[in-house]
Amino acid sequence: MMKLLESRLRRTLLFSLFLLPLSVSAPAGEKAPQGVQLSIGTILASNESDDFDAKLSKMKNQLEVIKYSSYRLVKEESQKVPWNGNALFEIPGGRTLAVMPQEYRNSRVSLKVRLQEGEKPLLDTTVRIRNRGNFLLGGPAHEEGVLILSISATVQ
Amino acid sequence: MKTNCETVKNSLGAWLDGELGHADAEEIRRHVEGCPSCSGERRRLERVQVVLSGVLETEASRVAFEPFWDGVRRRISEERPRQARLWEWARPAFYPQRIAWAVPVAIVFLLAIFSLVQYAPGWRWGVNRGNVAAVDSIDGHGFNVAVLRESKTKTTVIWLFESQEEDDEASGEPTAKDPAF
Amino acid sequence: MDLSDWELVQRCQNGDVAAFQELVAKYYRKVYMVVLGILNHRDDAMEVAQEVFFRAYRSIQGFKGGSAFYTWLYRIAVNLSIDFQRRQKRGPTELRETMDEAVDNAEGASSANDPFLDLQSKELGQRLVAAINELTPDHRAVIVMRAIEGLSYKDIGRMLGCSEGTVMSRLHYARKKLQEKLGPYL
Repeated sequence: MMKLLESRLRRTLLFSLFLLPLSVSAPAGEKAPQGVQLSIGTILASNESDDFDAKLSKMKNQLEVIKYSSYRLVKEESQKVPWNGNALFEIPGGRTLAVMPQEYRNSRVSLKVRLQEGEKPLLDTTVRIRNRGNFLLGGPAHEEGVLILSISATVQ
Repeated sequence: MKTNCETVKNSLGAWLDGELGHADAEEIRRHVEGCPSCSGERRRLERVQVVLSGVLETEASRVAFEPFWDGVRRRISEERPRQARLWEWARPAFYPQRIAWAVPVAIVFLLAIFSLVQYAPGWRWGVNRGNVAAVDSIDGHGFNVAVLRESKTKTTVIWLFESQEEDDEASGEPTAKDPAF
Repeated sequence: MDLSDWELVQRCQNGDVAAFQELVAKYYRKVYMVVLGILNHRDDAMEVAQEVFFRAYRSIQGFKGGSAFYTWLYRIAVNLSIDFQRRQKRGPTELRETMDEAVDNAEGASSANDPFLDLQSKELGQRLVAAINELTPDHRAVIVMRAIEGLSYKDIGRMLGCSEGTVMSRLHYARKKLQEKLGPYL
């Protein structure tokens, strides 16, 4: 009985030793993220009506933080960029949004963001957001309201 | 209460069970006494009751106390303290041959988890909760900038007051385009 | 509540098993009848009835005397029986076979031991057993509680966790069904 037990334990030990290198090699094989999928939603917020664009329903809670009465999705654009690559997005009103993903650490993507109007810089910021998360950048005047940009990043 | 046969038959059970008010009970009693159909219905109802309790009583009378109590006492004596029961439940897991299997199974399980994690780059232990962004630096190039973090929806908003500085001098009142956070 | 029951309960709460034995002796037949009425299966009824007392013993510390002891006991009995019935998922045919066997045995047995001697006819007994099998456990529970103990609708409702109105309508339905099935034999 003891012999049987010993042989079983020995076999288990050998099996465990065989699996050990696999467990070490598996995390080593983890691929570094290749790039980032950036998505920009351009929203026109105003107090001219009470219309809420159905396409924005997923963001309703977030948009309610900014107390306008009407929200309309004007434009949606998505680009895949490598790390430290620059993605340019045309924003209504002759503005440009440049987004550069810098690094990915602790599940957060660091983005360098520049908003400019023609050649004139309006805002430079560096923001760390959760992977697949977003933040809102608002303020530029447009038509009867203001533009709100929802900037999100998904690590590829 | 309108004492037609249909109504009476619907309340007959409750009447026999003594669950009706005095006036209703009296009315039904009078009707039943003078109505052969309802009186027959009453007899049938009582018969069902008598037959059922008769069957069960005769069956129960055959059950002797001693063997019954033995069964109950056995259950009581088999009842162990909670810790003992927990140990009894868990003990098979500590048999040497099961531990022998448990070690490689645990390793394979951990390997599977680590392997899956690499396909879900956004997923890590204990982090990745909420959507609140961290703003490391910000430069409004002369414009006023506000950062708002709303904890309920975990939303971060950077607001650029594009024309605020010029407007501030003209009027202290907020314009229609200002957000009201 | 009955003082002697309460005294026995208090002694049980102090770990006196003999006091519990007295309570079992007092109520085991009634509990067995309730369980048998719902399960319609002798062996199962025996198991469940013993389990009822075991559960009662295990949780007797929690019994504060807010209701009569037998009400509390019947509630355990009804709940365990209904749970057991649902877990078993045994078809009515199997159940009927067991009790039909009881009726058949009765035919061959001597009159002194015949459990169905009180029935005016064995045919009626068989019909009754078959008819009860076609009721749901909830309907069986109300008709059995009423037939055995003559409990009020209020008490039955309290035990089953339903209103007096529900008890009344379940009883009405169950009796109607039994009458339909037993019609010419009544």
